[in-house]
Amino acid sequence: MKNTMKINRVETDLLILGGGSAGLWAAHRFAELMPGRKVCIVDKGPQDWGGLMAMAGGDFEAVLPPDTVDGWLEDLVYYFDGLCDQPLMEALLSRSAERMRDYERFGCEFFHKPDGSLKSVPQRGLPHVKLYPAQVKGRGGELMAKSLVARLKDAGVTRMGRIMLTDYLVRDGRITGAAGFHCISGEAYIFKAGAVVAASGMGGWKTSYGKNTPTGEGMRMAFEAGAQLQDLEFARVWNMPRLFAWEGQTHLFPLGARFVNRLGENFMNRYSPVLGPNTDPHFTTIGMALEIRAGRGPIIFDVSPLRGEDMILLKPQTGWQKLNYEKLCRLGLDLFKDNTEWVPQMTVSHGGIRAEIDGSTAVRGLFAAGTARSMEPGVYAGGFALMTTAVTGHMAGESAAAWLRDADDAPAPDEAEAEALLTRAFAPLGREGRDTLTPKQVLTRIQATVFPYDVSIVKNGPALERALAEIRRIREEELPRMAAADPHYLLKLHEVEAVAFVSELFVRASLERRESRAGHFREDFPRMDPAGPSWIFVRRKADGTAEFTPERVPLEQWRVPLTRCYQDNFTFVEQATGKDR
Amino acid sequence: MIKSIAPEICTGCGACVRICPLDALRMGEDKKAFIAYPEDCMTCFLCERACPSGAIDVDPLREVLPPTFPDVPVELGGGRA
Repeated sequence: MKNTMKINRVETDLLILGGGSAGLWAAHRFAELMPGRKVCIVDKGPQDWGGLMAMAGGDFEAVLPPDTVDGWLEDLVYYFDGLCDQPLMEALLSRSAERMRDYERFGCEFFHKPDGSLKSVPQRGLPHVKLYPAQVKGRGGELMAKSLVARLKDAGVTRMGRIMLTDYLVRDGRITGAAGFHCISGEAYIFKAGAVVAASGMGGWKTSYGKNTPTGEGMRMAFEAGAQLQDLEFARVWNMPRLFAWEGQTHLFPLGARFVNRLGENFMNRYSPVLGPNTDPHFTTIGMALEIRAGRGPIIFDVSPLRGEDMILLKPQTGWQKLNYEKLCRLGLDLFKDNTEWVPQMTVSHGGIRAEIDGSTAVRGLFAAGTARSMEPGVYAGGFALMTTAVTGHMAGESAAAWLRDADDAPAPDEAEAEALLTRAFAPLGREGRDTLTPKQVLTRIQATVFPYDVSIVKNGPALERALAEIRRIREEELPRMAAADPHYLLKLHEVEAVAFVSELFVRASLERRESRAGHFREDFPRMDPAGPSWIFVRRKADGTAEFTPERVPLEQWRVPLTRCYQDNFTFVEQATGKDR
Repeated sequence: MIKSIAPEICTGCGACVRICPLDALRMGEDKKAFIAYPEDCMTCFLCERACPSGAIDVDPLREVLPPTFPDVPVELGGGRA
């Protein structure tokens, strides 16, 4: 890096990467427990924007009476086809009601029925799991973010926006801080920290209004620092309107909405006579893909079975969702009146950092929270993320406080190493030459490689092998050619490098899992492995490459046996093995 | 994707520039906000909602992405033109 470039140095007790739900909760809890200590939240987006939480509708999952943690845990073991970390999930569910009560105390209201009880919406045909809708549909998540930020301001928590961190600083296996740059000024930053909470979200493919910022650099940084990753084979393929963005379809299926094919058939009844259309989007998108492949597309969203009285829950009342809805209506795209075409769309990765229940990782002093750590195997019930990010953020703040109380003072970051990392991070800035590529050009090629349905939805070995070869080619030949004209594009460039990293791990992990389970469907291995569920962990070898290691889920040590699987509700195995092809 | 910021209506308060999650908007030398990086807009409407004078118009249609079904014709739900 040029000697003239300014390096800003910031010292803090706790550094938090990411100002979304998990990061805000971690800061809140840490500040409560350690009022004299310094906390600093760094986000690559605007200061105080709240991350993806600000885009969320505000629906929250919580175990409230008469439900019990045991009932929910049984649901999740079944729903996750056994890939459920039972001690972790039990800890999260046990604390879910506390966080919901915190939100109510902060002034975030949930929807009450006329009799005063809370409205709930059951999820995915599960007996217990349900979400509690926000009172004001369309701004629930935004209000949650604002309520947390207000508390952090009172607690004196430092919040910094527009700073992208590119590398963790580690000394002798202990985290000492992080380095990065400001995406407007272009100034470099070195943070010295006693502990770090990675709340930087999941990986993703920059596909839509609310899933454009999670690109996986936090995952890449943790991997390079020595933390393990897991569940990379699971990506969220969401059903989305072809022409616009929509949030809240999760509510519609339990109330009667459905997808129909070109022939007007409610095709999910065929793929799951038990659950029909009221199921997880992962399975709906498999159904969509099989219909489109068979020439029975396009897929139309049919809301005609909905009852009028339920519409109040569904039509956006405020916030971006209302503005979006009104503009679409003016274009003749009224979701509640017109036939709208929907398509499966890959959005984000479910994989993340492997962490203990308390958030601690293989790197001392590095804690993972929220969607930066992996919690679900590619299936997703509405309201799950707002709950799990709140609870794991709160827990990580608590764990970091306890750890800092007992730990020795953190060593200072190695200055030479930090500057070398910054030099590498800044290298593409101003790169010139006839064969340079923009980050957007490379992103589009990665998307074109990973999005096809035989790589992302109805996966098969040969398609995955082809995708892997192409992603490796892109990483070797095209990433080094990317150039950034200014610090804004430097941020995008580092995002695209992370998207490529996550894409390769997604394809490799998808090849490694030679079975179909939870949010992973292989047409060439359509059944579950009879040996039972295993996780696939990823760690960095000494040569820098990734090693994939399966590890059996220790069901015999845990309370809930795997007596039935959610996947058994579907007939995709029969589809894949020859019938109806 | 963001369509326009009307310079005659923009008061230069900077609210849209501060709130854009993608850093797509910047303040010009004329003290008016402008669309600096249009291709980075994710259609979140935060800028339009933050603008106190109604100067911003965001188009609700989303970006066309590489297809999920490259070999299936568009009229049958695929991505082949």
